[in-house]
Amino acid sequence: MSNTVIEFNNVTKRYGSLTAVDAVTLSVAQGEYFALLGPNGAGKTTLVKMMLDFTRPTSGTISVNGISSTNTACRNAIGYLAENHRMPPHLSGRQYLQRCAELCGFSRREAAEQCDRSIERVGMREKEHSKASSYSKGMIQRFGLASALVGNAKLLILDEPTAGLDPIGIREMRLLLESLKGQGMTILLSSHLLSEVEKICDTAAIINKGKLMVKDSISSIIRDGETLEAVFVRLVKGLT
Amino acid sequence: MNLQKAHNPILSILKYTLADEIQHKSFIVLFLICAAFVFLTRGCYNDNFVMNGQVLNAQAIGWFVSKASFHVIAAAVTLIAALLSMRIFRRDRDEGIQSCILAKPIARWQYVAAKTLGLWMLSLLFMLVLHSIILFITLLNTKTAIFSFLFASLLCSSNLLFVILAVLFLSLLLPEVIAFLCILGVSIVSYIGDGIYAASHSQMAQAMVHQPQGYEQSLTWWQVVYYLWPKLSAVQQWATALISGETFRWTGLVHPLVNVLLYCLLMAFLLFMRFEREDIV
Ligand SMILES: Nc1ncnc2c1ncn2[C@@H]1O[C@H](COP(=O)(O)OP(=O)(O)OP(=O)(O)O)[C@@H](O)[C@H]1O
Ligand SMILES: [Mg+2]
Repeated sequence: MSNTVIEFNNVTKRYGSLTAVDAVTLSVAQGEYFALLGPNGAGKTTLVKMMLDFTRPTSGTISVNGISSTNTACRNAIGYLAENHRMPPHLSGRQYLQRCAELCGFSRREAAEQCDRSIERVGMREKEHSKASSYSKGMIQRFGLASALVGNAKLLILDEPTAGLDPIGIREMRLLLESLKGQGMTILLSSHLLSEVEKICDTAAIINKGKLMVKDSISSIIRDGETLEAVFVRLVKGLT
Repeated sequence: MNLQKAHNPILSILKYTLADEIQHKSFIVLFLICAAFVFLTRGCYNDNFVMNGQVLNAQAIGWFVSKASFHVIAAAVTLIAALLSMRIFRRDRDEGIQSCILAKPIARWQYVAAKTLGLWMLSLLFMLVLHSIILFITLLNTKTAIFSFLFASLLCSSNLLFVILAVLFLSLLLPEVIAFLCILGVSIVSYIGDGIYAASHSQMAQAMVHQPQGYEQSLTWWQVVYYLWPKLSAVQQWATALISGETFRWTGLVHPLVNVLLYCLLMAFLLFMRFEREDIV
């Protein structure tokens, strides 16, 4: 568990006068299930987007698997589920996943196998041939997760993966992520569902207004019988 | 991972771009309307026309109509290419295609290159099919096959490339409709400029305006602009001149094709640089 997969080194991101991420330094080890917590507008999505080079940091550096985030090679074997995941409405879930797998470099046949596996994993077999325009938000989210799993990813970056899922979906998501544990998978997930995070993740970082408030193992963050929620509220309210 | 040896993301994205565009109903409708219009020119080949008391034979009329149709199609497809390009980035962003592609080990330039190539191939195909219809109609009516038509069509595809690159670039900076109108303006000015230039250099105009000696040497600012302007119209005229084997005299610093290709390079450079700085959502 000592190999560092993700490393933020003094990363700052400014949008004009607004500092979305403020001198954040943190690292995620291989095999770790890491939760990025924080209130709305804290800068979680901004951190995630900088990791994928979707937006560049104003200062500081980020590396993934030891490669700078500005290098395309660092995105090898990353599975990404975007906050409010979207799909082309004219494609079926299966066609979408097929494209995702082919873009990862799989041949048509291999891609089809990958699709089968991940459709099964997210329980979307029934809907795989319907057009995305007919999907509910939760279905799109499930296909989004399937697309993150499709390329044999070793690192999953999930930005609010449970958004739009029903309680059963949330539970299935948790079971799925738990089943990936022990396969060497590293997961970074941003979420507002603290009770779920408590069950799945090993480590959490709480950020507020772009600043890293705490980063520790969940068991160390929760002291004296406090819940994660209580710590979260105390840290976030304490500042404001 | 058992990955394909020669996996080329550009080819994959290009394939998806073509598939996505062709499945749009508006694209199919546009194509059918254009094809129907082209078929309508068939009527022009049938009769002998009388002009200034002279009877023009079908052959001459056929040639004239073919060349005129060539021009109209080339200009119309340029417009269509601009229309197709103006929404492409926004649609990809809204449908999550950009973030899906760029979260993979695919460089931004590869994405942009694939999109540009896809649009260019699509509009070129559009133009080639329409030009082939004209070729076919001419063949049926005048029994002459002008295969140089297709070569001329390929030459005009440089205009398509310029328009696509320019609209893609401007759509990153401006609202899409404004980007489209800007390039429409550039194209129109190119056609009008050539028209005015041709008129002002016609023998009649020369005779009407008694120019003092040495007038030709001093360049006015609008002449400089005219020489440097993207020569979309001149490329088309050159292409039609090739069809009929006429000699083509160009104005400007460089040959119109070189002019347009240089503009393509400039636009491609600006587009790639700008897209590198784009925030992906
Ligand atoms: N493109 C942008 N331009 C300007 N400001 C931005 C941009 N993107 C994000 N911000 C600002 O940066 C801050 C952090 O936003 P971010 O999306 O990272 O928050 P978040 O932690 O993901 O919030 P949420 O829980 O609501 O998803 C916010 O104040 C937001 O308004
Ligand atoms: Mg967010």
